[in-house]
Amino acid sequence: MIAVKYGWRFLEQLWLPVLLIALWWFGSAASTNPFIPPLSEMVDAFFIELESGRLASNAFASLRNIFVGLFVGVFLGIAIGTIVGLSRAARSVLNPYLQFARSIPQVAIIPIIIGAFGITAIPKIWAIAFACIWPVLLNTVDGIRAIDPGVRDMVKSYRISTPRALFKVMIPAALPQIMAGTRISLSVAVVVMVVSEIYGSTEGLGYFINYTKGLFQMENTWMATLVVGLIGYLLSVIFLIVEKYALRWYHESAK
Amino acid sequence: MAISGSNGMSATKTNDTSLTVKNLGKTYVTNGESHEIFGGIDLTVAPNEIVSIVGPSGVGKTTLLRCLAGLLEPTVGEVWIGDRRLTEPVPEMGVVFQDYSRSLLPWMRSRENVAFPLESKGIGRAERNRMAEESMAAVGLDGAGHKYPWQMSGGMQQRVAIARALAYQSDVLLMDEPFASVDAQTRFDLEDLVLDLRKRLGVSIVLVTHDIDEAVYLADRVVVLSGKPAGVVDLVEVNLGKDRDQLSTKAIPEFAEARTRVLRQIRREA
Repeated sequence: MIAVKYGWRFLEQLWLPVLLIALWWFGSAASTNPFIPPLSEMVDAFFIELESGRLASNAFASLRNIFVGLFVGVFLGIAIGTIVGLSRAARSVLNPYLQFARSIPQVAIIPIIIGAFGITAIPKIWAIAFACIWPVLLNTVDGIRAIDPGVRDMVKSYRISTPRALFKVMIPAALPQIMAGTRISLSVAVVVMVVSEIYGSTEGLGYFINYTKGLFQMENTWMATLVVGLIGYLLSVIFLIVEKYALRWYHESAK
Repeated sequence: MAISGSNGMSATKTNDTSLTVKNLGKTYVTNGESHEIFGGIDLTVAPNEIVSIVGPSGVGKTTLLRCLAGLLEPTVGEVWIGDRRLTEPVPEMGVVFQDYSRSLLPWMRSRENVAFPLESKGIGRAERNRMAEESMAAVGLDGAGHKYPWQMSGGMQQRVAIARALAYQSDVLLMDEPFASVDAQTRFDLEDLVLDLRKRLGVSIVLVTHDIDEAVYLADRVVVLSGKPAGVVDLVEVNLGKDRDQLSTKAIPEFAEARTRVLRQIRREA
């Protein structure tokens, strides 16, 4: 019975994408517009590039930049956010700068970073990290500040040492907000990855998109764009699973 | 203050820590206006004694308890724990907060919650776990250490909070309306647990409550707090011994007398 129920639910979700892909497939089959190649050509291009190894090596470069940049950004965001959240003095001094820095569109800084530091991977990682800091930082500040005074009383009355209070009470208590910020940072990281590679690069999916466009291989350009979309989607799905596990206490205790 | 014994935490703790409050007062200043919450409070809690502080809502009971715990600095007066003047929270005192759902950490299992304060005391992991299990057994939670607080009922959660205070090996337990948000039957069970812990472990307890029955049932002395600013309007001795029972003790004339006297004081001053 359960198998049948889940089978139905699966079918319920499946028909629409199948229909859309079929419409696209047959609707574009006779396309002669070079900017809108048939879907079948994109699929062919996917397998050709998969075999040539170009897709894998470019995807690897992009994913590496995303992960390292995201990690650095999240780490700095949590660290600075915790200090700012705990210290009223740090808040009043830093707040205008934080508000200014987060107001700069994250991709606007790419030309400066790449111009100054070159087209290798490291400046791109810094660009991603810099963009990823803000959602995590601001959410961490909110999370730390929202900690119940009762929790702080407990920490004080049981003389919990500062490092333990920080790593075992404050940051875990702020984790729901930190996770929410990280989820935003993840999608920001994908955007900055693509733009930084289009702007100046010798590898990566953004580079591949820009390069194949230059060669007028529009099926490759489309294909790589779809792959970027798919990667973004898969990363957010994986993140949701991790979040669900890490915040089990939060979801369960809210019931 | 070693805790020993074959069946968990039995009897033999020597508690000679007394809590002394001298001319304590707290005044808040807001917008240039000063509000005196309470003043001129003198009180001594002897080792192994239960003192309840009772008074109408908003009289400043919790503020007073926070001063006793070292969480809040009094404006005037002093708190002494043993022969030391209190300036910050001390290991001799453990606090059981009113809102267990906030004072217990939901990302830790109940055993970890109980053992957590012991980490900062520099106690090793194995010993911490042993002490936690022992305290959990003392409050009737044997075998529930793996549960998270949100998997437990309110009464069980408050038992975990009490176990945490016990594992901390404090001589004095400060309890702030500890049973205000559990149902009546659970409340009776937890009250009896408090009496039992006092008898078996020799701890002293200062309990803040607005429930007059609870104040009289648990205490050797009831401090009646009333007025604005609040002061001690009466100190009622409850000579009902250490063995008490929800049914028979509450039927004794002395219980009724003490109860009536406390209620009259609160009514008159409020």
